[in-house]
Amino acid sequence: MKIELTLNGAPVSVDAPADTSLLELLRDHLDMTGVKEGCGIGECGACSVLLDGRLVNSCLTLAAQAGGRKVITIEGIRGAEGGPNDLQQAFIDYGAVQCGYCIPGMVLAGEALLARNLEPTRAEIREAIAGNLCRCTGYQQIVDAIQATAIKRQENSNG
Amino acid sequence: MERFSYVRATSIAEAVALLNEPGIRSRPLAGGTDLVLLTRAEPALCNRVVDISLIPDLHRIHREGDRVVIGAAATFSEVIESPIVVQTAPVLIQACRQVGATQIRNMGTLGGNVANAAACADSLPALVCLDAVARVLTPQGEREWPVSELVRGPNRTIIPTGGLLVSLSYPAPLPGSQSVFIKLGRRNAMAISRLTVAALGRLDSAGRIAEARLVPGSATPQICRFNAVEASLLGQAPSRDLYQSAARLTAEEMIRLAGRRWSSEFKEPALIAMTARALAQVFEPERRNA
Repeated sequence: MKIELTLNGAPVSVDAPADTSLLELLRDHLDMTGVKEGCGIGECGACSVLLDGRLVNSCLTLAAQAGGRKVITIEGIRGAEGGPNDLQQAFIDYGAVQCGYCIPGMVLAGEALLARNLEPTRAEIREAIAGNLCRCTGYQQIVDAIQATAIKRQENSNG
Repeated sequence: MERFSYVRATSIAEAVALLNEPGIRSRPLAGGTDLVLLTRAEPALCNRVVDISLIPDLHRIHREGDRVVIGAAATFSEVIESPIVVQTAPVLIQACRQVGATQIRNMGTLGGNVANAAACADSLPALVCLDAVARVLTPQGEREWPVSELVRGPNRTIIPTGGLLVSLSYPAPLPGSQSVFIKLGRRNAMAISRLTVAALGRLDSAGRIAEARLVPGSATPQICRFNAVEASLLGQAPSRDLYQSAARLTAEEMIRLAGRRWSSEFKEPALIAMTARALAQVFEPERRNA
């Protein structure tokens, strides 16, 4: 079936079987390989994307469900001049990235949180990334990076 | 080969028509968190999914007289963010907050949780505690069942083939009511419930228990209010001893309804502790944060 969606701000049209998951569509049909498959059953969050601004597991979403809607993958998160945005830079600065496999999902979970709450407590940050597993267990640094970005964005929005 | 085809319904009427189109075995698709996995495990489950997740009416949460009506495709996140539910049903808010993690709460729906009827579904004890009623549309018309009668056992409901669960509604609890939901899982996020307790209660002006509802989840084959426990609380003055004896009765009732199982050895003491805690939180809310 034909599936038309807005991917990282640009319209795309792709032909795929109706039982294709959004994860498969993004990786295998649209070359968005920043979307990772971890468990494939909605437990690990590595395949997280934003669907109309909401964080979802793309492995449990049918590609067809994204038809006519906006999908943001990690490829759509970048600085104004290209390169990492502030949250991605904070992940680097705080040593939050070890093997890196969970990081696209972690960054998107962080962006989803900060879009709704610019003053999250540490507990709220931990809750926001609770559906994203990191087996290198660098959670502290990931929480630090999201918190530091929240504080910077607050300052920017106030001043 | 596609295991199934996909069609998106734009209205409730269209969804019911699509689900009942002759010659096609259709399944409603809401959040997909259960169904997408099920279609992989059972490729012959259906040959078409009818996407009902983008029908605006199925997301509506509103008051109808003294009832609160929640559209069946409202996601757990939408329920949690609803001021009407926050105001009237803390027990349901707390239950929905315990579901999965952000991603699952953004996808999974209240109606899906009820229709899939997993033994561990977190919203079920809360809905039964609220005396919630499910509204089901079929081509023949509309049917309503209490959630406690609709769900007959693990993954078993009496929703007829081709029927569409469209809403869940509950009478807003009387002023002064308190309600809580307590969950026991292996960790905080993404944990399947091992045991849950939903409780609601209210004191009269003399400080005696005027209303008590208690619903353990993941405890009995058919989820229900524990009437004997509730009766033991009515008219009594709240006290630690009262909670303890009610909690012991709750465990006895669980064994009576579910039989003794491999898990009973841990579920009995766990249910006693959780029930006593839930009752203390309901009848002595001032101690909740102490």
